[in-house]
Amino acid sequence: MTTRDFIQDRIDSLENRDVLLEVQNLKTYYPVRGGFFKRTIGHVKAVDDVSFTIRKGETLGLVGESGCGKSTTGRTILRLLKPTEGQILFEGKEITKISGAKLQKARRDFQMVFQDPYASLNPTQMVGDIIAEPILNYEKRNKKELEQEIKSLLSKVGLPEAAYYKYAHEFSGGQRQRIGIARALALNPKLIVADEPVSALDVSVQSQVLNLLKELQIEFDLTYLFIAHDLSVVKHMSDRIGVMYLGNLVEVASNRDLYKEPLHPYTQALISAIPEPNTAIKKERIVLEGDVPSPQNPPTGCPFHTRCPMAMEVCSKEKPPLKEVRPGHHVACVLY
Amino acid sequence: MASSTTLTQQKKPERSLSPWQIARKKFLKNKLAMISSVFIIIVTLLSIAAPFLAQYLSPLPDIAKVNIGSMNIPPNSEHILGTDKSGRDVLTRLFYGGRISLLVGFSATLMVIVLGTIVGSIAGFFGGLVDNILMRFTDLVLTFPFLVFVIVLNTILYGIVDGLWVLIIVIGILSWGGVARLVRSKVLAEKENEYILAALSIGCSPFKVIVRHLLPNVASTIIVQATLIFASMIVVESALSYLGFGVPQATPSWGIMLSSANEPDVLQGKPWIWMPPALILTLTILSINFIGEGLKDALNPKSLR
Repeated sequence: MTTRDFIQDRIDSLENRDVLLEVQNLKTYYPVRGGFFKRTIGHVKAVDDVSFTIRKGETLGLVGESGCGKSTTGRTILRLLKPTEGQILFEGKEITKISGAKLQKARRDFQMVFQDPYASLNPTQMVGDIIAEPILNYEKRNKKELEQEIKSLLSKVGLPEAAYYKYAHEFSGGQRQRIGIARALALNPKLIVADEPVSALDVSVQSQVLNLLKELQIEFDLTYLFIAHDLSVVKHMSDRIGVMYLGNLVEVASNRDLYKEPLHPYTQALISAIPEPNTAIKKERIVLEGDVPSPQNPPTGCPFHTRCPMAMEVCSKEKPPLKEVRPGHHVACVLY
Repeated sequence: MASSTTLTQQKKPERSLSPWQIARKKFLKNKLAMISSVFIIIVTLLSIAAPFLAQYLSPLPDIAKVNIGSMNIPPNSEHILGTDKSGRDVLTRLFYGGRISLLVGFSATLMVIVLGTIVGSIAGFFGGLVDNILMRFTDLVLTFPFLVFVIVLNTILYGIVDGLWVLIIVIGILSWGGVARLVRSKVLAEKENEYILAALSIGCSPFKVIVRHLLPNVASTIIVQATLIFASMIVVESALSYLGFGVPQATPSWGIMLSSANEPDVLQGKPWIWMPPALILTLTILSINFIGEGLKDALNPKSLR
């Protein structure tokens, strides 16, 4: 079997699986307060109408520039932030409005790997306690058995068992991220949201952590929402990729389709910016003019029309919906 | 030689030192803080043992009793530090005074720290309306004129609660505002760290996030602040007692002993009556401040001392 066959096989097998997460018209606004009594004087529209689905066992990559709302999307899905509007369905069950003890119970099934391995581990806790805590939040366990379980989990993420008795500050960034992954895995969740899990790491360590995530996905049958701004990292990790711009999802397609034939002008510009290692190939770069508009006061119509090289008059008036223009390839652009 | 090094290597502890153990190690190396700790421990032990020691120190162990026969005696072999204007042994009263001063200081500090930490951490963690309500209440408490309230509350509570505890409760109720503000600001800074978000995502309740994740990480500030408050509480107790608003007059405390220096005659001619309490008060407060300084260094992971 060639690699291409393997990928095709994986895509085919994934298409038949159940939907694990469905996000419909999700909006998350941060209030902007000011004035004399700290009234709400506006909103930062961090996530403005995002819809997608993730099937079981699949990896959906989310890419976009800093500040485009990808992390907010991830955190809102885990209900670490309150959605302003829209629906989040996890295994068909609505988790948008639940709170308190119910939400706490539901969190068992979806976990997060954080961006900053230095800030995401409590410095006063022993590594063993950090990883045991999620389990102890949901179950009463025998101490000895649990310790054994944690130690085997540690070796699964590539850390020595002796790490159990150490503290986070004694580890390097890559090792800390492995601890964070072990903590997310401890509850055996169905969905893991990885929020730029390697962007804080050295390039040499990035691939190790990425490959670990891939291995664990197969071993534990995990589903990932993989958030990153590095296009090559997303390409390496994802089955399907969503491209975000200014709080909006502008294109969703399979990994292959997106890199081979990007349809949205923004995606085209992004892909053209990937450096080409082979100097013999001449690549034409699409350079975008201007800056990303403020999410507090986004442009009317298509959010990208202020910078789009192909903008037309209609773009500033109507916001194009995300529609399927080819099988499995969704774009939000009037051109299609 | 070779065998001994392998032995020590084998004995290397399996567990790493926790941040608290590292702090303790650093503290034990700090000479000034250690000397101060020893001094405070000795003063505390002598105060606790006061009733026992009194039998040996003075021919009249009853400290409250006025003894007209032995008024204002300068230090001699019978009364090592002399007697006061009521004929009571100064050294015995000094030990008894330590009981009161340290007890009031410690209890009031505990009350202030507990109240301040609860209010501050809840306000800082939840933010928004909760924060607003709690902090405005804190502001209100901070604006209370201390002396006036001490006198008023003293009068209200007098007779309901034992005299000593009136003072402790009054000081406690009026002084937690500063701690609440401090803890809130620390919690506000600390909760921005991703591990707090991580704690929520692994299913911790808000209560557990505060107790297990936030407080251990702001504890060093609270502990250092506690020592400073302890010192100032002892001063407050002495000052109030000196003014006559503190513990009941019959109770020996360092402040009450000092108040006898009100009389010019005593201040000028009988230094043995007021010098000992003044000296021990100064030394105690200095020591506590040195301990606080030592703790600050020990608990700061960036200091190398």
